[in-house]
Amino acid sequence: MIPAIDVRNLKKSYLPINRRAGGKTVALKGIDLTIKSGEFYGLLGPNGAGKTTTIGIITGLVRLDEGSVSVMGKDIISDYRFTRSKIGVSPQELTVDWFFSIERLLYFQAGYYGIRKEEVSDRIEQLLKKFGLYKKRNSKIRELSGGMKRRFQVLKALVHDPEILILDEPTAGIDVELRHMLWDYLRQLHKEGKTILLTTHYIDEAELLCERVGIINEGTIVAEGKPSELIQSLGKGSIEVYLSDCDPEKEALISGFTYVHEPYDGGSRLVFSVDEPEKSLSEIINALSSNGCHIHEVKITKSSLEDVFVSLTGRTIND
Amino acid sequence: MEVSEKRINWVGFRTLTLREIYRFLSVYRQTVIPGLITSALYIIIFGLTLQKRISSIDGVSYTIYILPGLIMMNVITNAYNNTSSSILQMKLLQQMQDLLITPMSSMEISLSFIIGGAVRGVINGLLVLLLGILIIDMPVVHPIQTLLFLILVSWGFSGAGLILGIFAESWDNVATMVNFFITPLIFLGGVFYSINMLPGFWRNLSMINPIYYVINGLRYSILDIGGSTVYLSFTVAFLMTILFTIIGIVLFQKGTRIKQ
Repeated sequence: MIPAIDVRNLKKSYLPINRRAGGKTVALKGIDLTIKSGEFYGLLGPNGAGKTTTIGIITGLVRLDEGSVSVMGKDIISDYRFTRSKIGVSPQELTVDWFFSIERLLYFQAGYYGIRKEEVSDRIEQLLKKFGLYKKRNSKIRELSGGMKRRFQVLKALVHDPEILILDEPTAGIDVELRHMLWDYLRQLHKEGKTILLTTHYIDEAELLCERVGIINEGTIVAEGKPSELIQSLGKGSIEVYLSDCDPEKEALISGFTYVHEPYDGGSRLVFSVDEPEKSLSEIINALSSNGCHIHEVKITKSSLEDVFVSLTGRTIND
Repeated sequence: MEVSEKRINWVGFRTLTLREIYRFLSVYRQTVIPGLITSALYIIIFGLTLQKRISSIDGVSYTIYILPGLIMMNVITNAYNNTSSSILQMKLLQQMQDLLITPMSSMEISLSFIIGGAVRGVINGLLVLLLGILIIDMPVVHPIQTLLFLILVSWGFSGAGLILGIFAESWDNVATMVNFFITPLIFLGGVFYSINMLPGFWRNLSMINPIYYVINGLRYSILDIGGSTVYLSFTVAFLMTILFTIIGIVLFQKGTRIKQ
């Protein structure tokens, strides 16, 4: 099957704003990325990692230096009319328009994609209702609240019914309620068969929504896979046990597991490092009980995508 | 048929052109009325008061003589301002990015902007023309030619506005170009006088001002005076229009100060 987006060895550097200062800034060092048709893909990375540049190139906003990008099998440069008409983009920065109502802006948007007013009026009405903006259709963007602006941004990307939706940081700086609303809506779009490429620096967002994530750092993709696989292969979980009435120094206490211990509140605190906490839990508890330990509390810490990110990039995503 | 299969995205082209026209019409108090008011003031102050002290030029009264110049001044400033400010505004408000990711070619986008500005220039020009006909009974000797010439010049300066809009990074850049170049060139191009009234050196200097030819061409079209240089005037206007349009489109295509 032809991939929705296929990026091969993509390289890009920017000239400094002050050219005399010299020295190019390398944004992408050779990215390979394949997003399957119908997939929900997340591109994770800290600010300046190259997410927006990658999206900019795919959508035609930024010129590539080297490499190639194809969308649904066609080249983004030689077949730009095809590739751009298949993509809807919700950019990171909110756009402003001083002159027209949001409904009119949607008609313009459809028009740029070659769709006449009469062909799109039903769809625009439906979308306005779905996004809770129908009553505001005669308002200008500046008259909308922050949350409404963000919804409008996503809505606008959908006017021409694109097969691929690219969202650059769609939930940056919005409240929890709206975040959940957008997530629900994105899940629904994904169910309907749309390919979604999301960039985010909210790890929980990627873990929750995306089928596959790519972790991008300093212009290279350092890891890629299903969130659960990445966590399994790169992250580790832990089990913490608070106990008393037994000696954690005793070698035979529990074999086959590595753990650290420390005195805690008259008893001890043991921390086991395990690959899959759920599987090891019963074994650990059984072994401890049979050694006469009195168990007060057990805490399981599952590894998250965040741990994976930190272990790969050596920094947290918000650094 | 989908847009991707078409050689020209006509719907997109039409939409953006209409957007550009609606844009200035929605703020007509800033874009249409002021030119009309200033022109009326010029007619009253320069024309009706000074006319008594100035003998007729080339056989017409002073007020009528300056009117084609006033029309051209309106056409040039409006066409030029519309495109330069629209492009700059789109850049500053991030709207340009929204446009660049659509399946429209650079040629379609730049021509839409040029036409939008040209329409504003022509509307402004025609309104001042109408004012002249109504207030001072100005005759229009070659109406078709007048209209075509207005369209040509308006298109040309809208193209110049596109070039400036592409290069400009702030409103200050646009204002600088207008205040230091366009306005002086218009005033020195013979809006209010015949360059034959100037001493030799200044007259020769005026001959390298392209706006002089543009005003001359319109003066001929409306009043049928200065016919000796009419072909030269039309040629200069035509070449200028072609040149600005091509440079504008090429710069847009290259993505100068627009794409990274």
